[in-house]
Amino acid sequence: MGTESRRRAPLLAAGLVALLALVVALAFVSLTQGSRDIAFADAMRALLTLQAGDTMDGTVTLELRVPRTILGILVGAALGLAGAVLQGVTRNPLADPGIMGINAGAALFVVVAIAWLGITHVQGYVWFGMAGALVATVIVYTIASMGREGATPVKLALAGVAVTAGFASVTSAVMVTRTDVLDQIRFWQVGSLAGRYEPVVLGVAPFLLLGTVAALACGRTLNGLALGEDTARGLGIDVRRARWATFAVVTVLAGAATAACGPIVFVGLVIPHVARFVCGPDYRWILPYSLALGPVVLLLADVVGRLVARPGEVQVGVLLCVLGAPAFIAVVRWGRLAEL
Amino acid sequence: MTSRIRSAALVAASLALPLSACGGSSEAEPASGADAPSGPWSFTDGSGEEVTLDETPTRIIAHAGAARALMSFGIEPVAIYADESVDSDPNLRDLDLDGIEIIGEEWGKIDVEKAASLRPDLIVADWWPAEEAHSGVENGVEATSKKIAELAPMVGATQGESILALAEGYEDLAKSLGADVDDAEIAADKERFEEVRAEFEEVATSRDDLSVYAMSPYEDKVYVANPEFAPELLDFIAWGLDLKAPETPDPDFPYWETLSMENADKYQPDLILWDDRDDLDNVAELNADYGEQQPTWFSIKAAEAGAVASWPAFWLHTYGDYADQLEQLTEAIRDADGTVGD
Repeated sequence: MGTESRRRAPLLAAGLVALLALVVALAFVSLTQGSRDIAFADAMRALLTLQAGDTMDGTVTLELRVPRTILGILVGAALGLAGAVLQGVTRNPLADPGIMGINAGAALFVVVAIAWLGITHVQGYVWFGMAGALVATVIVYTIASMGREGATPVKLALAGVAVTAGFASVTSAVMVTRTDVLDQIRFWQVGSLAGRYEPVVLGVAPFLLLGTVAALACGRTLNGLALGEDTARGLGIDVRRARWATFAVVTVLAGAATAACGPIVFVGLVIPHVARFVCGPDYRWILPYSLALGPVVLLLADVVGRLVARPGEVQVGVLLCVLGAPAFIAVVRWGRLAEL
Repeated sequence: MTSRIRSAALVAASLALPLSACGGSSEAEPASGADAPSGPWSFTDGSGEEVTLDETPTRIIAHAGAARALMSFGIEPVAIYADESVDSDPNLRDLDLDGIEIIGEEWGKIDVEKAASLRPDLIVADWWPAEEAHSGVENGVEATSKKIAELAPMVGATQGESILALAEGYEDLAKSLGADVDDAEIAADKERFEEVRAEFEEVATSRDDLSVYAMSPYEDKVYVANPEFAPELLDFIAWGLDLKAPETPDPDFPYWETLSMENADKYQPDLILWDDRDDLDNVAELNADYGEQQPTWFSIKAAEAGAVASWPAFWLHTYGDYADQLEQLTEAIRDADGTVGD
């Protein structure tokens, strides 16, 4: 935030614009490429007229690829931002939405929806996923808030681990005894942008957009919190309220993203590190960079997954697992894993 | 990846159908309903190996499908292991299971301790030539489950190239165990099957204008069956149905060709055989629901026209069930419009 960061500002702004342009380019690739061969002209005709024209190519472009691409952008941005906010507020470089119990909560509710409510496809159980994420984070936050100091980062991490373990054991108990449920939930649990169409996108988009705007407004607060609790207070930040509010933002973002696509690893954990590596410690830059980098990674992985296994597809969650581990090791090994 | 999981699940389910009819309640009373002949007993297993015993077995443990077959000939096992819940297993529906122990309701998991306490003298389960194992002891099951094969000899008919051959194999086995397969009531099923089969052949052969694919639409993938690995589909082909194989079965799991929803319309049959083993006799609704969820499913014209028929995938074991299913299929083939997929 000193003179150095001010000197770098034009450079960082240019980089951000370039990244956003890259998102647009990748979105275009995602709309025109896939496991089906569609002539460029046909795809463009469908996109420009928004008419499927009663052809399979038009239907695939408009009803499969458009929602998939929108979801890729929104979810990528949401996971990147959620990770950045969470790492900032907990000052834990390994924080990702998983440690807040979001994945475990969403998984448990989805399992319940499949096992006892007879809900058999993603359009139906996305709402249970969101409710589960919300319930889990409320429990985590409530437990962590007990005691005098309130929800400190350490207590949040511990409560998150405990709640995750508790939820996961119930989920496992159901899946071990109900193979039909296991068979179904595998499709959600692997993490995918495929098979989610207009109803899912329209359902989660408001949450993701709202969360994104709110997250972008957190920069100054996170900068303050990064200096430590006492300093933050000295700067006039209400630490408790700041923690509570940022947590709510993460819950909305990661909860909606996870409910729609299943637990997608790697994006929420690594993207903020890459952003920090580029931008330095200023969250007013880290947040927009995370917002742009998330969709870049998610769309790229999804497009690759669609092209490598034609006429089938590889789920983006699988691809990210394969690519994510080496990438994360590289970040840890060569990057300055910024002290938080 | 998911496609492999699904395929594996499908195959697991298909493999899991052998029923181990373990007929043993408590003491010496044989659970078998038939009068077991005395003296040395022998049977040639699906694997080709001949199994010989001093006494005809009476306390049989069977896998679900094999149990259904044996029970259709009046041989009652002492225990059954299934690959799914007794309530949902297509091979256990409408059976009187009173007095029969259930020692497994999940693929790969058999309560061998309970099985041992029933002192079985024969384990009956399908033989899977591709895996060279009987149902219940294939690769991938729990290690303890495999010990069921140590309790008694394991035999079964083979899940090779024909369900008819499988049904005949169980008829032979039941006969050797003392069943009166010529009893009027028991033989009626077979006679009906023969009639239905003859009619199927007549109708299928006459419809050479009809192209048919067997499919298993599931979540966001369409799995197109490779008949080479589905005995009932091989039967249909042998009896004149123009059932086509997918062009490029998945290399690592050739039971299917997996299509993404973007490529759902790759094949345009006139009639779709729908893998409905999870929800029997409900294909019209399954098709409508799937079309509602998946924007491209109705790009298959036959799907849009509702030209779907039940494919009894990987579970048939008896003449009676086969006759029922063939009868439905014959009607569907007779009524099908050979121009739908053109």
